[in-house]
Amino acid sequence: MTSSLSAARSAEVPPKPRSRVRTALVFLAFAAFTVATCIPAIGGIELDVGALIRNWSNGSGLLVQFLQPDFGFLPRTIGPMLETLQMAVVGAALAAVVSVPLTLWAAAPTNPNAPTRVLVRTIINVVRSVPDLVYATVLVAMVGVGALPGLITLFLFDLGIIVKLVSEAIDATDLPIIEAGRAAGGTQTQINRRGVLPQTWPLFANQWLYTLELNVRISAILGIVGAGGIGRLLDERRAFYAYDDVAVIVLEILVVVVLIEIFSNFLRRRLV
Amino acid sequence: MSVLTAPSATGLEVPRHPSRITPTVVAVIVGAVVLASAVGLPIPWSDLGSLPGEVAHYLGLMFSAPNWEMVPQALFETWRSFSMAWIGAIGCVIVSIPLGMLAARNVGPIWLRLPLRGLFAVIRAVPEVIIALLLLTVTGLTPFTGALALAIAGIGTQAKWVYETVESVQEGASEAVRAAGGNTAEVTRWALWPAVAPALLSFALYRFEINIRTSAVLGLVGAGGIGSMLANYTNFRQWDTVGMLLIVVVVATMLMDAVSGAIRRRIMKGPRAKAAPAQRNLVQREERIDVARVS
Repeated sequence: MTSSLSAARSAEVPPKPRSRVRTALVFLAFAAFTVATCIPAIGGIELDVGALIRNWSNGSGLLVQFLQPDFGFLPRTIGPMLETLQMAVVGAALAAVVSVPLTLWAAAPTNPNAPTRVLVRTIINVVRSVPDLVYATVLVAMVGVGALPGLITLFLFDLGIIVKLVSEAIDATDLPIIEAGRAAGGTQTQINRRGVLPQTWPLFANQWLYTLELNVRISAILGIVGAGGIGRLLDERRAFYAYDDVAVIVLEILVVVVLIEIFSNFLRRRLV
Repeated sequence: MSVLTAPSATGLEVPRHPSRITPTVVAVIVGAVVLASAVGLPIPWSDLGSLPGEVAHYLGLMFSAPNWEMVPQALFETWRSFSMAWIGAIGCVIVSIPLGMLAARNVGPIWLRLPLRGLFAVIRAVPEVIIALLLLTVTGLTPFTGALALAIAGIGTQAKWVYETVESVQEGASEAVRAAGGNTAEVTRWALWPAVAPALLSFALYRFEINIRTSAVLGLVGAGGIGSMLANYTNFRQWDTVGMLLIVVVVATMLMDAVSGAIRRRIMKGPRAKAAPAQRNLVQREERIDVARVS
């Protein structure tokens, strides 16, 4: 009887969901990939801890210097920081204007024409897959050092984010107003203008503010490759090993980023 | 007669048009700020007309006949960038999971939680590239130090995801373990860890995806990999090679994103996709971050 009871109980226990073989295979794949990334012969990286320690003894003085910021340097950072903020604002504004038609093109409810929709989405995906500083590097070589390549970089970067996020949000929203507009005989353009835009503009506003935030962070580093703003000053002081000045710049970036985030959260609560 | 007209007049009265003053004022202020910023920028606006032609010229140089002979070297350097990203991601995850768990409300004590969260917030607020750049000056410009820099610079965001995930776990399992006499360590191991492990694994892969982009950027400042190659050939003005490198970067990044994204979806939703509500929220939030691509 006890044996039948235990048999019944063991039958009740569900089988363990994962097989050991699968776990072992996953682990093996993980280990193989990791090992392959550590073989210099095929392009992997060399885990040279010795060199690290040698460099560390040279560089630790810099970190000590970094911990003693020289605030006398602050006045010289104001101008470049202003340029950074200007680039962020103008880039976000340009992207905001261009993003509206492109987003409506890339969302299924507002653009029933599949080929053009796929085209716009593909272009946006390609634009998004290039890192921001790579744009900046190539653009600096094209149009020269200054704020212009930075502005174009921010514009392209923002456009990718807004169009992608908002068009997906529109795809996911239920918009009965489109059907109503169509029943009333409106063209797609009229429906989009009078029906969809008033209902989705909080989505847009939210992302515009978000890209403004991102822009401040990004434009702070664009200068490293020569695209204007505070990053150029940072790179210059770094090249001179003036880490006390670098500390001031980093602190300033930190403060500005946090302030912009607070400001944009405030606006977001008011608007959206 | 007046008795008849009065109610109909009030009943049919069109509601007052909502005030347009506030939106107008906001629009004017925003417009003024944008204009002032645009005017203040040191950009020769008059040259802007020739810009599209110039860009088209360079695009033609880059993509009309990309230099395919350099592809093997480009793939070699791409793998170096991927290696940097992968080792950096592993380092970042190994450090941020324990730290992030200690910073969670239901695990760590308050005297440990607050300083940890402050540290994460500071690392998060400074752009990753700047942290990595500063570390690279100290440790030397090699792919290995690049990976280390990626690991440290990513801790701020990664640890935040960890503690937010741990805090969003439902109380039931923790209460059960505590009722059975478990201490905090046992609660973490037997109640919290099984609940958060899939999400943390998914975030780890996501860190790898972010690092792929950031490692290209670190290459631009000299840490090696595809970014260094791109920076070099841009400086040489060898546009046909630059065009090929851009194509390689885009294709490799999109490919890695697709693979890693497919694995993440499988981890989060499983082959028998039916996620618990808490998990579904995580997936949604993660997808929201996903698109942002903060570098």
